[in-house]
Amino acid sequence: MQKSEFITQIEGHGSLNVNWDKNKVTLEVHEGERLFEGMVVGRQAEELYWITPRICGVCPIAHNLAAIKAVEDALDLKPSYSTILLRKLLLDAQMIQSHVLHLYFLAAPDYLGLDSGLEIIKTHPVYFQQALELKRVSDLITDTIGGRGIHPTTTAAGGFHKVPSKEKLKKLKNETEKLLEASLGCVSLFSSFDYPKIKTDLILFSQINGNSYEVYDGKKIASNKGLTEAISNYKKVITEEVRSYSTAKFGKHEGKGMMVGALARLSLQGGLLKRETQQFIEKTEVNFQNPFHNNLAQAIETYHFVHEANKILEELIKTGIDPKATDLPKEYKPERISCGIGALEAPRGGLYYEIEVDSDGLIVHCNIITPTVQNLTSMEESAQALLEQTDGQDRKKRSELLEMLVRAYDPCITCSVH
Amino acid sequence: MVKKTQTKPKVAIFDFTDCEGCEVVLISLRNKLLELAGEVEIVNWRLVQKRADEGPYDVVLIEGTPVTRREIDALKYLREKTKFLIGLGSCATLGGIPGIIDKETRSLWYKKIYGEEYKPRGIDALPLVAYVKVDYLIHGCPVEKKEVVRVMEEVLAGRFPKGRGYSVCFECKIAGNRCRLLDKKVCLGPITQGGCGAICVSGGSPCYGCFGLRDSPQIDNLLTTLYKFSDSEEVERYFSMFLKKTPEYAKLFKKSKKKNAKE
Repeated sequence: MQKSEFITQIEGHGSLNVNWDKNKVTLEVHEGERLFEGMVVGRQAEELYWITPRICGVCPIAHNLAAIKAVEDALDLKPSYSTILLRKLLLDAQMIQSHVLHLYFLAAPDYLGLDSGLEIIKTHPVYFQQALELKRVSDLITDTIGGRGIHPTTTAAGGFHKVPSKEKLKKLKNETEKLLEASLGCVSLFSSFDYPKIKTDLILFSQINGNSYEVYDGKKIASNKGLTEAISNYKKVITEEVRSYSTAKFGKHEGKGMMVGALARLSLQGGLLKRETQQFIEKTEVNFQNPFHNNLAQAIETYHFVHEANKILEELIKTGIDPKATDLPKEYKPERISCGIGALEAPRGGLYYEIEVDSDGLIVHCNIITPTVQNLTSMEESAQALLEQTDGQDRKKRSELLEMLVRAYDPCITCSVH
Repeated sequence: MVKKTQTKPKVAIFDFTDCEGCEVVLISLRNKLLELAGEVEIVNWRLVQKRADEGPYDVVLIEGTPVTRREIDALKYLREKTKFLIGLGSCATLGGIPGIIDKETRSLWYKKIYGEEYKPRGIDALPLVAYVKVDYLIHGCPVEKKEVVRVMEEVLAGRFPKGRGYSVCFECKIAGNRCRLLDKKVCLGPITQGGCGAICVSGGSPCYGCFGLRDSPQIDNLLTTLYKFSDSEEVERYFSMFLKKTPEYAKLFKKSKKKNAKE
């Protein structure tokens, strides 16, 4: 494991096993199993959202909020309007953090011919400073609202333990405004790259609500092939398959690969973006059948989430945070054994939590489906397509392209093996 | 500890089974990371670079718990190749959250989650010290930025870093928090090593002890206080969050039947 036997610059341990003679590729996942769905059984419902953010250090807020939504659903708790706004702000910042980490530190070196994201400071100092700003301020948002960005401390089912003062929100707004320019730079850098081209038949999925570009509060699951299904039927849409060469399950829709994440969201919800943001999709000619364009989609989304974060902060400052936001239940126990589902769009796509809580408030069952699980089959299918479409070309080059392709999906292997 | 020489010390960062949140903390250091990186040569860091030297290394940071056979073997190999080995974050230093699952109950959950046919890779989630000698532990779930910088600066200056000699309570007071114990809420702050700035209690969450036990923790004294308003089941829940694979936990809560084996 000291040698680069794993794909570098992705979250977690995965490798591509290529049989060059037969032109066949498999995606192997080696991360150790942590068994989170077993770990939480027998524990208190409110420990769920303390424990499961630890599934992933890159998108812990997404896990925290999805877990909270599942507990609220099971216990029939209704969060206040300000609570929802604060959570949406947290999720916006999570998207920026995660996209920026992936775009600049993991993916950009591929397109700039560099070994490490840390070298961009020498080759593209202006863009790199913008990346650091995007990281700094999105971290500041999650620290201020969530208490801590990586594994939040203030969030809870029903609301927040603590909320920031108006002064803090104002300071935060001043900083967040600085990201408007940086996010424009992000779109400009990532639309300047020459993305490899492959032909695929991607089936794209996103949670939607039909009214706005929604990541926190989707009501349905939609696909680019015309499917719409209630979120509660997520298990009908996504089936999971265990493979001998992987510690992560492979997600499928009707026997085929499915793709979720930024590219899928832009494809299914792009029409609901502001005109200005929509124009980026047209101008940069986003190709929804080229998985490499997921990077481009993440850049455009970064721009969108920066704008949304500013808007939410403006509203919170104007209206103030309602006192209900910190009015938490005394105990977390349903009257009788109850089920709850919590779903949202994490940076890498739809995330689903389902739990059962008994009348003592103890979790008796838990099921979690992460975005990368849904993407693994598609990743392998696209790798196979790439291998076939580059037949006869230099092996080293093909090898590099394959790794770039996996990286473009922005897999979170740690999420996939949870 | 690194001896001052002409060449820059060779540093490598590895991760075993975990969430990679502590590595994200390293990246969140931003300019400070670049500064630290300028003083060393990062010769292996899978998360952010392609360069992957096989050693020997002057300093190695390891995040995560070695759950699989290949991780355990890699850890032993890395120990041989490394002058100063540091555990980064609670998974590495304590077994952490993955340690909640007992070795004995793993097979049950493998069957439930993966099915009968599946051949598991994971053996048990234990801290690094279960397998090799570790030179320093940077605790935390995740690690605290300031602690990482402090320890790295000490190591690079050729000094042996020391742990905080006080408990979380000290920092919790400075942070201006009301004591959870006064509100009859369980808290492991009094027995836990400081350095976190009491960040969880400040946010309204409990302290579950992710920074590890402080020196002479006086656990019995804390238990006497806790049992005035709580019971052993609740107290065990707190201890089992990050400390389940510590000898102290085994001593306190040794039972014939593990809770996780129910169901």
